[in-house]
Amino acid sequence: MTLFRSMTIRMALVYILLICGFGFVAHTLYGVQILRHEELLGKAQSTYTTRIETHGRRGEIFDCEGSLLVGNMPTMDIVGDPANIYILNKKDEEKTKAECRRIADFFGQNCENADSEEIFNRLMRRTVTVTNPDGTVRKQDCHYVVIATGVEYETAKKLKQKVEELSIRGIAFTNSYRRKYPKDTMLANILGLTNVSYDKFVPVQGIERSLNDAMTATSGSKVYERARNGRSVTFANSKSEPTLDGYDIYLTIREPLQAIVEEELDIMCERVKPHAAWAILVDPTTGDVLAAAQRPTFNPNDRSTMTPESSANRLSELALEPGSIMKPFVISYALDKGFVTPGTIVDCEQGVWKYAGRLLHDTHNVGKVPVTEIIKQSSNIGTAKVSVMMGQKNLDTALRSFGFGQKTGIQLKPETSGIFRPLEKWDSLSVSRFCIGQGIAVSPLQLVRAYCMIANGGYKVNLRIVDRIERGDDVRVMPIIREETSIFANPTTKKMITDMMIGVTEAGGTCTEAAIEGFHVAGKTGTAQKVIDGAYSNRYYASFVGFVPAEDPKFVLLVTCDDPTVGSRYGGSASGPAFKAIAERTLKYMHVQPQLSKEEWLAERAAAQKALHERKVREDAIVQARREERDRQLKAEQAKEAAKRSGSTVASRPSANQKSSTVRR
Amino acid sequence: MNQFTKKTKPSKDGAGTGRKESPWVAGLIFKMGLIMFIIFAAFFARVHLNDKTEQLAREKSRISAQIEEKNTEIQALNIQIANLQRWDNINAKIRQYKLALHAANPNQVFYVKRYTGQTEFEMPTHFGSDTRVADAAGAQQQPAERIH
Repeated sequence: MTLFRSMTIRMALVYILLICGFGFVAHTLYGVQILRHEELLGKAQSTYTTRIETHGRRGEIFDCEGSLLVGNMPTMDIVGDPANIYILNKKDEEKTKAECRRIADFFGQNCENADSEEIFNRLMRRTVTVTNPDGTVRKQDCHYVVIATGVEYETAKKLKQKVEELSIRGIAFTNSYRRKYPKDTMLANILGLTNVSYDKFVPVQGIERSLNDAMTATSGSKVYERARNGRSVTFANSKSEPTLDGYDIYLTIREPLQAIVEEELDIMCERVKPHAAWAILVDPTTGDVLAAAQRPTFNPNDRSTMTPESSANRLSELALEPGSIMKPFVISYALDKGFVTPGTIVDCEQGVWKYAGRLLHDTHNVGKVPVTEIIKQSSNIGTAKVSVMMGQKNLDTALRSFGFGQKTGIQLKPETSGIFRPLEKWDSLSVSRFCIGQGIAVSPLQLVRAYCMIANGGYKVNLRIVDRIERGDDVRVMPIIREETSIFANPTTKKMITDMMIGVTEAGGTCTEAAIEGFHVAGKTGTAQKVIDGAYSNRYYASFVGFVPAEDPKFVLLVTCDDPTVGSRYGGSASGPAFKAIAERTLKYMHVQPQLSKEEWLAERAAAQKALHERKVREDAIVQARREERDRQLKAEQAKEAAKRSGSTVASRPSANQKSSTVRR
Repeated sequence: MNQFTKKTKPSKDGAGTGRKESPWVAGLIFKMGLIMFIIFAAFFARVHLNDKTEQLAREKSRISAQIEEKNTEIQALNIQIANLQRWDNINAKIRQYKLALHAANPNQVFYVKRYTGQTEFEMPTHFGSDTRVADAAGAQQQPAERIH
């Protein structure tokens, strides 16, 4: 009984111990398998799982026809593993030092901008100091030092081969890429540039900045289980998030036209030595910018050429007083609303006119002339008189309808909207000054857009520099934004203002230098005084803007010289020849047929010359008649005075009279 | 000699126990062998195929790396081409080889109409200054309207 009892107790004890033991195991399993499942699985996976970040390709930039303007240049970074080199040399200090010296000398000789002494010092760095998350500092083996970055792909491949031949160990070559601008300075200010910060591209300016979101690639990742040798296990779990390349950008720019504009701009700069210069070529129907160049410029591949002067994008950021280039907008509005007709005679006061207490001058002394001649001879007084006739409100409406004071809609950032005061802030002088391009500041792009409106018959069109963006089959075309209704109520307004502007390039106009054989060229000169320190200086913006062929314009072209220092400072003489050269070559490129044969064109020129001569003869005759009339009046007065004197008793001053008459002569 | 190896004497009626039992044992052995063969064959096939798959995966990654390398080379060459196509480079070459090249005059360019079956459109065709070619192609004497 006692034995039985003791057996039962022992059995019970065994059972209890077993239950406790299994209970403990079950509890531990529950904790490990269920409660801490995620944590422990994560820990386990981290020991045999590798996660790799994959980066897509940043979008490239092309011209309209697919010529590469900005690309991704494949390069390689060369890195060393100092701790591994030390181990490979059996932790022998002397051997390691000799090996590091050999590696440093090899890369010092074969890599550009690599200093062997610096490489040697880096390779000899055995440990690095690392800060723990809790703030404590520890030292660990150094496994990563940079030997050279951005080595060109071909060079790096040759180096890699040599490294293998020379049995140099502890060196790795990693793929990378950098932005490359294969056309160097061409279109540099528009394209902009990027910097690199921690393997990421940071856009600085231009298209690179304004379309950065579209061009930026979406990063992906790849997670896989690795074998002992580091390779992925084929049958193990792996997952990957795909990368998405950035969109490629196709501009409206045409490279051949861009090359023509840049070449001719260089020739002009050589001729007149300006402080700066720019030219823009735009399709007036669609608002597509076909070419845009400026000087000074810079080479984005060589940042040492960059200065604030050369890197600024003058075309969209600069606001300047345009000068006489503004006149056609005022005159066209006046013609359209019936304030004047091309034949309306305006008295240009022979070059000096006082309005609102201030004198306004003309460069040439112009008398009473029809409105046509105001544009042809670029009369400030004539335009101001038409403007005064229209009134402040109409002038404000006219200039705003041509888009001044508004952005052009081009995909460039930043873009200025210029300076155009609201109507309530105008003073009494504004109406006579805004119309001749003083007191108002506009950007070159705004000017070109306004001329596009004249050229296309008054339809406001947004400028476009990005044609489409593409990523594989995903093609997004940037829409052409053009208003449905013309700002010209009168359908003949375009012809009237165009005819006046054709006169500018004909005999008697301000820019005969811009005439092109076989074509009618409609244009306008502008010579605007620069404002320096709040006052007008004797420095000028010399511009010429026009469109060809005048009747059916294929393009609008603006050429501006900022402060030409050699030769004439007038828009016609400084910028006119460049306009002609660019326009002639562009017409050839576009295969535009001449409107007139050489004989017809010469005959027209001769007729214009003859008309000018006849007009001059007529004007001379009028001037001569006036002079004779004045002389007759003078003589009559002198005769009267002499009669009075002879009748007087004082006759003792003949020498004094003689002297004064000598002085008058 | 144990009971399994000793020869059984044939019985008088010719029907010995060994003769009766041997088909059953042989069948069992055969079946077991077959099953084992199938199991081993399946096992080896799996190992072999896994090995093949692994090899193919390595081959695939090697080819992928090669493709990537070639794509990188293509990209580098594209940049090189773009650089060589720069107009100042081309002009320099024209000067270097003294080539009398210049843009065609507009009256040297003719356009022929191409019939596509549904719609007609103008297609620029550069015939140079030799108008006979244009005439032979049935081009109009007066150049057609330009699309630009």
